[in-house]
Amino acid sequence: MAAPLKAEYPFLSEDFDLSAKIVKFVPLKNEEQGTAPEQELASFEALMLPHLDAAQNLAKWLLRNEQDAQDVVQEAYLRALKSFSGFHGSNGRAWLLTIVRNTSYTLMKKNRAVDLTTPFDEERHATDYESVNPAALLEQTEDAELVREAMDHLPAEFREILVLRHLEGLSYKEIADIAQIPPGTVMSRLARARGKLKECLAARIGKEK
Amino acid sequence: MNCEEATRLMDGYLDGELDPITSQTIEHHLRECDKCDQAYKAHALLIRSISNKTPYYKAPAGLRERIQSSLREGIAERSPRSVSRDIPSLFQSKPSERRAVLFGTQWNWLALAAAIVLAAIIAFNLVPRLQRPGADQLLATQLIASHVRSLMANHLTDVASSDQHTVKPWLDAKLDFAPPVVDLGSDGFPLVGGRLDYLKNRPVAALVYQRRKHFINLFVWPKEPGAAGITDTITRQGYQLLHWVDSDFNYWAVSDVSDNDLQAFRQVFEKQLPRR
Repeated sequence: MAAPLKAEYPFLSEDFDLSAKIVKFVPLKNEEQGTAPEQELASFEALMLPHLDAAQNLAKWLLRNEQDAQDVVQEAYLRALKSFSGFHGSNGRAWLLTIVRNTSYTLMKKNRAVDLTTPFDEERHATDYESVNPAALLEQTEDAELVREAMDHLPAEFREILVLRHLEGLSYKEIADIAQIPPGTVMSRLARARGKLKECLAARIGKEK
Repeated sequence: MNCEEATRLMDGYLDGELDPITSQTIEHHLRECDKCDQAYKAHALLIRSISNKTPYYKAPAGLRERIQSSLREGIAERSPRSVSRDIPSLFQSKPSERRAVLFGTQWNWLALAAAIVLAAIIAFNLVPRLQRPGADQLLATQLIASHVRSLMANHLTDVASSDQHTVKPWLDAKLDFAPPVVDLGSDGFPLVGGRLDYLKNRPVAALVYQRRKHFINLFVWPKEPGAAGITDTITRQGYQLLHWVDSDFNYWAVSDVSDNDLQAFRQVFEKQLPRR
């Protein structure tokens, strides 16, 4: 029966330090992460926020909807922050755009299966306008709206590669990383995407004529 | 290089992604093949045109602020540590952003302050509550002090006698109650004497028994109304304290004997106790 009171009422023994109870509520410094969260956040923002426009641009071109794009970008930044400790490279833009792309595809798969399952309609876009003079075609593309409409008719994989190359000026290697395709595929896919875009533009110009 | 191959490599060449030797081979071919040269020029124009004419969607106003505040929440979720202290960022320029940061700061400090206040409330409410069942604790300290003092200051007994019929009347005369006094010499706990003590703001009887070379102080006073049949054992500073209550009295036995001896003491004490 020598149950020491100490065990039953730990508060009661002299050597029990009341302050130890309060210490529990004081957030402890996270030593494991090496850096304090605010430092991590500051460095994350310094590296990633400059690419906000690039993120928004890619998401908007993929989703073709302003609100979806903003949601995806915000979500992608949160995902990026979570896996920021795994980012050791120097190419913050490519790293962030990979996450933006994946987040966009997740949403597209969920909401708009159509985008991914509808193959590019070769028949419909096979054209009678091959004869359109490229010079004339290019003169007509003063209208940005025309290019936008033509782009929006391309499948996501073409929109994506055209945006990465033409609007972000990324190298084939970076594009391969972001689009998760073999580096050797980038050139041929880019060639097909440009060809299709040219066809779409020609079709629109031809219709207008 | 033939035309088919040149056509296949056209995009790579115009994008500057081919190795120098392949590029030179293509340049050589283009100088010789007018058809391919025309196709390259047209394609170069198309590429330039796409780059120039495709709209670039910049992030709308407010998106950066929304992202920054959601990042702050995200990192606050991950760690209880406040992320708030004004984060040096190159991108916080607008006053609205500054406000957002300040708001975040205040909120986080409030949360921290609330946590500390809550901790304090819990601590200060919980501690006395836990102490109450053993408000005995303070008493235990007093009992040990009395016991130790009785041994060190040559004031073990006021009335030194092994005769319970000497000790009891003496105590009865000094106190407003008549403590039970029994000699337990036949059971190995000879009565040494009696003493007056003062505990819980009242005079109490202290009966002194001996166990071999050790002394046992048995403090006795009338039980408080409503006190149940509590039995409690406390070990402190090497002393054993045994508490029990019978129909009339509170008993606290204090000694440096073992817990078993003290339990045995209580048993023989209760056995010898005259029926009332």
